[in-house]
Amino acid sequence: MASIVRMPEVLANVTEAAIANWLVQKGQEVAVGAPLAEVETEKAVVEYAAEIGGTVLELLVAEGASVAVGEPIAVIGAPGETSDDAPASPPVAAEQAATTEQAAAPEPETAPEAAPSPVAGAPDTLPSGAAGSAGSTTAGRRFISPIVRRLAKERGIDLDSVRGTGPDGRIVRRDLDRLPQPVAPTAAQPARPAAPSPDAMGGYDEIPLTGMRRAIARRLTESKTTVPHFYVVADARMDALLALRAELNEDGEVKISVNDLLVKAAAGAFRTVPDANATWADTVIRRHRSVDISIAVAIEGGLVTPVLRGVDRRSIGEVATASADLVDRARRGRLKQDELEGGSFSISNLGMYGVKEFSAIINPPQSAILAVGAAAPRAVVEGDQVVVRRVMTVTLSADHRVIDGALAAQWIAAFVDLVEHPVRILR
Amino acid sequence: MPNRSRLEASVDWIRLDSTPDDWKRADPALLIGMLSELHLIRAFEETVLELAGEGLVHGPAHSSIGQEGGAVGSIIGLRSADGVNGSHRGHHQFLAKALTHVTSGRFAIDGIVTGEVDTVLQRTLAEILGLAQGYCRGRGGSMHLQWFEAGALGTNAIVGGGVPMGAGNAWAQRHAGTTDLTMSYFGDGAVNIGSVLETMNLAAAWDLPFGFFIENNLYAVSTEVHEVTGEPRLSGRGPGFGIPAWQVDGMDPLAVHLATEEATARMRAGEGPAVIEAEVYRFFHQNGPYPGSAFGYRSKDEESSWRERDPIARMTRELLALGTITEAQADAAREQAVQAMKEVAGRLVERDPESDGKRRIKPDLWPDPAFVDVGIRGDASELADVPTLEPLEYTGETRSGRFVDSVAGVMHHRMEQDDRIIVLGEDVHRLNGGTNGATKNLAKDFPGRVLGTPISENAFVGLGGGMALDGRYRPVVEFMYPDFLWVAADQVFNQIGKARHMFGGDNPVPLVLRTKVAMGSGYGSQHLMDPAGVFATSVGWRVVAPSTAADYIGLMNTALDLQDPVLVIEHIDLYPLTEETPVDLDYRLPLGKAAVRRVGSDVTMISYLSMVRHSLEAVERTGVDAEVIDLRWLDRASLDWDTIGESIRKTNAVLIVEQGAQGTSYGGWLSDEIQRRFFDWLDQPVQRVTGSEASPSISKVLERAAIARTEEVVAGLERVVAGMGER
Ligand SMILES: Cc1ncc(C[n+]2csc(CCOP(=O)(O)OP(=O)(O)O)c2C)c(N)n1
Ligand SMILES: [Mg+2]
Repeated sequence: MASIVRMPEVLANVTEAAIANWLVQKGQEVAVGAPLAEVETEKAVVEYAAEIGGTVLELLVAEGASVAVGEPIAVIGAPGETSDDAPASPPVAAEQAATTEQAAAPEPETAPEAAPSPVAGAPDTLPSGAAGSAGSTTAGRRFISPIVRRLAKERGIDLDSVRGTGPDGRIVRRDLDRLPQPVAPTAAQPARPAAPSPDAMGGYDEIPLTGMRRAIARRLTESKTTVPHFYVVADARMDALLALRAELNEDGEVKISVNDLLVKAAAGAFRTVPDANATWADTVIRRHRSVDISIAVAIEGGLVTPVLRGVDRRSIGEVATASADLVDRARRGRLKQDELEGGSFSISNLGMYGVKEFSAIINPPQSAILAVGAAAPRAVVEGDQVVVRRVMTVTLSADHRVIDGALAAQWIAAFVDLVEHPVRILR
Repeated sequence: MPNRSRLEASVDWIRLDSTPDDWKRADPALLIGMLSELHLIRAFEETVLELAGEGLVHGPAHSSIGQEGGAVGSIIGLRSADGVNGSHRGHHQFLAKALTHVTSGRFAIDGIVTGEVDTVLQRTLAEILGLAQGYCRGRGGSMHLQWFEAGALGTNAIVGGGVPMGAGNAWAQRHAGTTDLTMSYFGDGAVNIGSVLETMNLAAAWDLPFGFFIENNLYAVSTEVHEVTGEPRLSGRGPGFGIPAWQVDGMDPLAVHLATEEATARMRAGEGPAVIEAEVYRFFHQNGPYPGSAFGYRSKDEESSWRERDPIARMTRELLALGTITEAQADAAREQAVQAMKEVAGRLVERDPESDGKRRIKPDLWPDPAFVDVGIRGDASELADVPTLEPLEYTGETRSGRFVDSVAGVMHHRMEQDDRIIVLGEDVHRLNGGTNGATKNLAKDFPGRVLGTPISENAFVGLGGGMALDGRYRPVVEFMYPDFLWVAADQVFNQIGKARHMFGGDNPVPLVLRTKVAMGSGYGSQHLMDPAGVFATSVGWRVVAPSTAADYIGLMNTALDLQDPVLVIEHIDLYPLTEETPVDLDYRLPLGKAAVRRVGSDVTMISYLSMVRHSLEAVERTGVDAEVIDLRWLDRASLDWDTIGESIRKTNAVLIVEQGAQGTSYGGWLSDEIQRRFFDWLDQPVQRVTGSEASPSISKVLERAAIARTEEVVAGLERVVAGMGER
């Protein structure tokens, strides 16, 4: 009996993927676990392994072609079955068989959200407990519950990038509640009824949790309790950087912020110390080829951390433009889910509030975060002289599973060096 | 050789014919009254056929031409307070009753059309044409003619369907201490239907002043009477039930009158019902302006031999012979009737400006289409001043007792206060409170008001409906098991449920029907339904399903106040439970208010009756943060949408929980309403817990498998949780 192989959801929230290369040929016998193809998404190319053994009867998608997740990509027959036995197009019965198998499979493990896992193959279709809906998600048609449509409209959420965890991949209310919530809850958002106060004389008011508040609480608790944090602190003289910024802004069309320069400096530090651009992935350490940096943006009701990608390859102008756009859209609640995912590193800057120094909690699955304090005039010894310089204290929180003390020290030294010699940032 | 002796019926079966002597002795005013009514009805019916021929009567027009003698002869002697009802062929009975009401049956032969007579003719014709000025505002049409003031209780399109209700009217007349009576008219076809035969038995058992008037016109549509019965002398039905019977020539109005006088004398004296069979003939086919012979089921010869017996011709001949009237007066009477009908029709129809030579209904006479649903039930204004109590908030004195004792207790309390309440059903008067103790002490303390009925649900619930329509009594009918509704379905749904609306929307039907759901008791496939779904999807009924004894008391009190038919559903699982109830049994629950039994935020569970407890148990077991709504009021008009809506907007998920079989389930219509009202608030399909498809079997294991209890609700909650996606 031939089975249909469907395009896997190799990354969370990916709705479409391409076959970069077929690693098997028509007629070839494959065993369970043997790589079938390299599947390419916007973010990654991953190997996709066979979940059933047998003979490859058909390859339905050409190399380079993109199809929706869940679309048939190949047909695998029972061992010994020849391609003559395969129908020209997948028969309905085969589809049903495949679906039933999926439905009978154990519930897929719940990947931690916002942790894109390239572990391929787990069907995203939950076994449906509801009466008799054996149908799988129709290609190109996402199931979205009515209340989700309503809330998404109210909250300005783009549902294209939301992963549905309801029956047949339906996007359900919990999938939205999980997202950082970019705007204050509107009146229409159901509030949990306040339980009658045990202390009637009234020591407190109860404020209903928003979805974002819950997400922050859950993720940061998880981070602080499961990620072994350690901290390195350094001071950087900012006079040169501030002067450079003034100069850049004199004639530039794009307004460059101090933060943009710090982001660029961080990227430069990673170029100098590439081993620090790594994250923990349970069984392996993942060293990243691109420097993707999250910037923390405070918004009404909480904060979000959109990712600036490929900072190392971008000019300061590009970084400034991209960063302004992310900040702007974050405040308007217009970020896409994938813009909130990934990256190995964050920068959190409380300098504008006059904070001298602080330490930050790592934003999983990243491995470090840089907490930036205010640049303020301080007495500094240069040579034998005490001089006044504008000095900024930065604190690097690092995940010790990935980054050891010496590595963190090297990185922060590289960072301070770049800040103090800012022209190199522009290289 | 056995000994054989002949048994005699205990009552008389009489053939009655008039003699020349009878005609001489008859009051001339009575005879002139008969002739006048005959002419008016004949001219009226000719007008109806004429309009039907022009396509102006929507639906069938069952002509009574040829049969007027039976109706006029029997009705002209009745009082206004006497009731009549009839079936699809009822114009002549209705007109005879209405005309007799406005004239007392006395007419001046030279001026038979008084203003009141003219009004009767116009409003009746308007009703048949479906116009707003009709007696039932145009709703009833030809087959549902009702004018309570005149004692016209309403004609019926279910053959024989009006008979049980007529008996209820007779019960009220007798119980109120009057000597009034009710006469129900039906045909040779209808005589074979259960409603008629069950009611014959019931009326005889209870000595009701009720007449069964059979218009034997030899045909039911095209079927001949001797084809469908072994005893085509239909009055023969009476003696078998202990009812005396008369057979009479219906083409002779005086003979009919004389037979009726004999029969009604008995009825008014409290000696019980009577059967009168009048041999009549409809000159036309079942409906429309063609003779039956045109359809081949009878001959022209037969028709002309009956036409020679035309009651108007007979009446005229006799009056001329007696010298009571002159030939000129006889002709003039006919002319007056024809002229009156011309004028009446002229007020209702006009030349059609769009179609040459045709007429049309005057457009401004139609009812307003917005009237379509008005008066399906009352507006509940009768509850405006009654004090209500919410048991959830009650903090006063309580007493502890079994649920079933509250059932009997509240009824006892109300019967003490309200003489109008009458309880009827099978065995309600014995066994110390019926089969479950739900009517305990009632028979003992209220003699004559707790009626053990024969096993004929259709007749006794219909009789209750007739009592309710009469208005002097508040019947509380019990069905021992809900499934018996099917044998009573005509009276429950076609009659009681529709009576108010169908006859114009004004006349209330205050009736309470009690029944108990018995799933789990092993009574099997034909006893264990939940009737909520069938009633909630049928028009006219209100439905309550209390889950606590305190609610039961308050809901029963409100049900007894309401001017509408109310089904009160009980459950045998609840009967033995010991519960606290307010000491004072007078309180009412507000109409249409549900109870939130548990506040929660994950899913709105909607349930009623015993399943409320199972729902709460399932919530405990699963730990799902569900909001549990106990509906209390289940029907379309009384459902608490405010509470349901508020909850759904909070939880975005719904689980409707009920116990019984899928097919007749309650949740079907409710989930349909919910998805349309709250589509944008739902995060998953409306989920449901029901029994299986099959009706529960007797085998304990199969019965358990067929119904829902806590375990099935747990599974339902798990489906809801799966529908919520990943945490
Ligand atoms: C319960 C029911 N079955 C069938 C009909 C359809 N129907 C209407 S009139 C009629 C014939 C009735 O015959 P009969 O009782 O003799 O009255 P008649 O028409 O002769 O006056 C039938 C079968 C109906 N209205 N109600
Ligand atoms: Mg007949």
